[in-house]
Amino acid sequence: MLRIAGGRVYDPANGVAGEERDVCLDGGKVVDDVPAHAPRIDARGMVVMPGGVDIHAHIAGPKVNAARRLAPEEHRADVVDRTAILRSGTGGTVPSTFVTGYRYALLGYTTVVEAATPPLAARHVLAELRDTPVIDSLFLVLMGNNLALFDLIRRDPARVRDAVAWWLEATGGYGVKLVNPGGVERWKHGNGNVTSLDDDVVGITPRRVLDAIATAVHDLGLPHPVHVHCNNLGVAGNYRTTLDTLRTLEGRRAHLAHLQFHAYGGRAGGRPRSRAPELAEYLGAHPELSADVGQVMFGPATTMTADAPVSAILRDVTGGKWVNADTEVETGCGIVPFTYREKNYVHALQWGIGLELFLLSRDPWRTVLSTDHPNGGSFLSYPKLIRLLMDREFRNEQLRRANQRAIRSTVLLDDLDREYTLEEIAIITRAGPARLLGLRDKGHLGVGADADVTIYDERADREEMFAAPRHVLKAGRAIVRDGELVEAGAGELLRVAAPYDDAIDDVLRDRFEERYSVQFDSYPVSEPWLLEPARRVPARPTS
Amino acid sequence: MPPPEPAAGTTEGRRATCGGCGLACDDITVVPRGDGGLERLERTCPLGDAWFAERTAPAPPVARVDGAEVALEHALDEAAAILGAARAPLVYGLGGTTCETQRAAVALAETIGAVIDPAGPLLDGAAGLAYQTLGASTATLGDIRDRAEVVVVWRADPAVTHPRLFERLRLPGEHRELVVVDERRTATAEQAGVFLELPAERDVEALWTLRALVREAPLARGPAPDPGLADLAARLRGCANGAILHRVRGHVEALALHSLVRDLARITHVVALLLRREVNAAGAEDVLAWQTGYPTAVSFAPGHPRSAPGELNAAAVLARGDADAALVVASDPLEQLPPDAAEQLRAIPLVCVDARDTATARAARVAFTTAAPGVHRAGVVHRLDGVPVPFRAPLASSRPGDDELLAALAGRLAAAREAVA
Repeated sequence: MLRIAGGRVYDPANGVAGEERDVCLDGGKVVDDVPAHAPRIDARGMVVMPGGVDIHAHIAGPKVNAARRLAPEEHRADVVDRTAILRSGTGGTVPSTFVTGYRYALLGYTTVVEAATPPLAARHVLAELRDTPVIDSLFLVLMGNNLALFDLIRRDPARVRDAVAWWLEATGGYGVKLVNPGGVERWKHGNGNVTSLDDDVVGITPRRVLDAIATAVHDLGLPHPVHVHCNNLGVAGNYRTTLDTLRTLEGRRAHLAHLQFHAYGGRAGGRPRSRAPELAEYLGAHPELSADVGQVMFGPATTMTADAPVSAILRDVTGGKWVNADTEVETGCGIVPFTYREKNYVHALQWGIGLELFLLSRDPWRTVLSTDHPNGGSFLSYPKLIRLLMDREFRNEQLRRANQRAIRSTVLLDDLDREYTLEEIAIITRAGPARLLGLRDKGHLGVGADADVTIYDERADREEMFAAPRHVLKAGRAIVRDGELVEAGAGELLRVAAPYDDAIDDVLRDRFEERYSVQFDSYPVSEPWLLEPARRVPARPTS
Repeated sequence: MPPPEPAAGTTEGRRATCGGCGLACDDITVVPRGDGGLERLERTCPLGDAWFAERTAPAPPVARVDGAEVALEHALDEAAAILGAARAPLVYGLGGTTCETQRAAVALAETIGAVIDPAGPLLDGAAGLAYQTLGASTATLGDIRDRAEVVVVWRADPAVTHPRLFERLRLPGEHRELVVVDERRTATAEQAGVFLELPAERDVEALWTLRALVREAPLARGPAPDPGLADLAARLRGCANGAILHRVRGHVEALALHSLVRDLARITHVVALLLRREVNAAGAEDVLAWQTGYPTAVSFAPGHPRSAPGELNAAAVLARGDADAALVVASDPLEQLPPDAAEQLRAIPLVCVDARDTATARAARVAFTTAAPGVHRAGVVHRLDGVPVPFRAPLASSRPGDDELLAALAGRLAAAREAVA
């Protein structure tokens, strides 16, 4: 039982914008009231928000671990000691699992989405998430280059819906992710890629994949719509592909991952330009669509993606470390450590486009915060990003330091003087992501919500304010007290419950034996210690 | 934690995953006897037969101290006393057990400030440093099977070490070339379309020549390159998709091989795969990496993971006399370490946790003989290509699992530390 007394509460989902009021917690939930003798936190002069929700990050699984293994120098420079309650570990852009959990909690985040899981590796992802303390986690299952699904889409499209649900159930996943649909399969076949939605890939096109999977996700009524990493990531002129993708998805809900990386004008192979205004405009006009920005932040990053052909291009840019890892039937993976530099035209343009998307956004509920951690920068850079959005003077000063040619190609110098309010920040960092994910108990402080609460000291320097919350409560327990991590229990796995027709088992079994190198019966995760405990979030079928 | 054990007395076949090598074949059937023992195996290879036999043979008592049977609790106290008193303990092994046990072992190593080396005795971790320097391009078995037009086996003899590899890769096959590079005509080479004889010490030279050939870079003056290498370079350049399966021995060799793969990656889609021998060698690296950030040996002595490749590998630590006690899990280092390291290991107090009766277990101060992961206890192993595969429990055992044992040991050690603090 706890009363958080007298703080300025930002709970946009319930229309609360900075009013001084009490928030009462009991039994891991927000409640209407607690007895007067209940313990209390004096939050006067503080800002109270729901716990942060990260809609798109890479924190667990073979791809993340391959990147961890690649970066001993980062880890040596950032060590975390064991304490009576905490495991030791290392940080950098790809921290060890324990440190990932601790640092998200210290940042006031309590729910994080692992955005790209190869279903074949679900056991590995789950095991890492079990070693990632404090935060609740969920993962999206890669389905955009799955040959067995391609086969179904071509020959037996009526079964796709059941197959999608089967894959979610077999892995413990929450939602569906498409990454460069078709393109990664082409890459694995001989270093190819697709350039348009109508390119042929083993008898199918990216457009057909998008259409079929988005329809399946829509019909299943999954809580989170199809989560799309568009084709042509990073390529000059790719905004056309992005718009084409959005038009293809029309009539169904969709979430676009790291939109910044898909918002470039210019000609392929040439110098990119910003097309953020067009995309912001389109997004604004289509309420069924949403995006996370994928802001890049100057400094170190580690690019890691299922979009392996993109990594090959980055490899040739950096000439440094590079990992490629092909997963049979399902996906690819590429990793390149990367540093974004403010004087570099392309990097400064990417930085500027991200800011444009934020500042031109008409609806903060549908354009939410991400750096595509750690692709555009670590989640530890969110506080600085928040300051860039909230503090025009700071932003202008940063703008002046960046490559001017790039900045001039954006609209950032055109009186774009918007400053995000605390309410808007609460929307893009918790309320919005929770709503887009369909997590009804997250991202708000109404009665019945999970008692995940972050309490900040009100400070003029928003970066300092958001970098070090005063208190963080997770399921009602004090995790961070006076800026110190005081408890680090396990978080919860959130997974979807989407019913399907069992007949799909036999359909898939036939396709399995010839395609996979594991047995059909080995494939679904069945280990109780990986799957439990978990909270099921039900799908609400639309047909 | 573990799922319910199969009921004793039934004798229908049960699915199993074999731990005989890094392939972790998951299509095995175990047919039990009426008394719960092993009647028969289906689809195993000779390594698999031996692996199951070793784990179903009559085993010594669950707990022994100095070779004499004792109560489990007593042995746990003894083991905790040894490891708790050690100033520089070593945790060793891991590649032969599940990820669950590996997680417990890393946690325990952290509790006691130990050095932990996941590499095992079979050099399964030899390519780790090259990976950290350059990265890698790799693929899972299914992709290699379905895409690679050229398969090169470099300095490995999977016909002996991974007997079902070629069956699983459908090799030799039509329109697919199999090239073997080794110092002698091995059993694997007998199946190859092309065999390239290369003395063991000439790896780096040959790989560097191949690099030049595939890049079509001019070679230094001197004799023309071996026509076999020129032919291999042409095959690799000419394929749309190729794979190099290898067991290179040292760091420089691994660097050379990954450099070649990287050169090839600009021309065509070529991947490399280390043929790890221990069933969960990949898992040992993975678990250590996700918990600490490092895939190679670390020391927890400073209170956080410290990595110093080379310096901290178990053989080096032992040979320097830098370990004063050891915990060995699912491994038999006395049989497999270099003699000077084995000698040192014999000289320090040793705690051994294994399902088998090994030379190391017999020499240990405290030896626990557990249920066997993959036979009596379920878990997950990461196959040599990193794919997580369920390790099943087709047979029953009343013994504790190695994960439970390590957890019990860690509990005692943590309690002892707290009492001191």
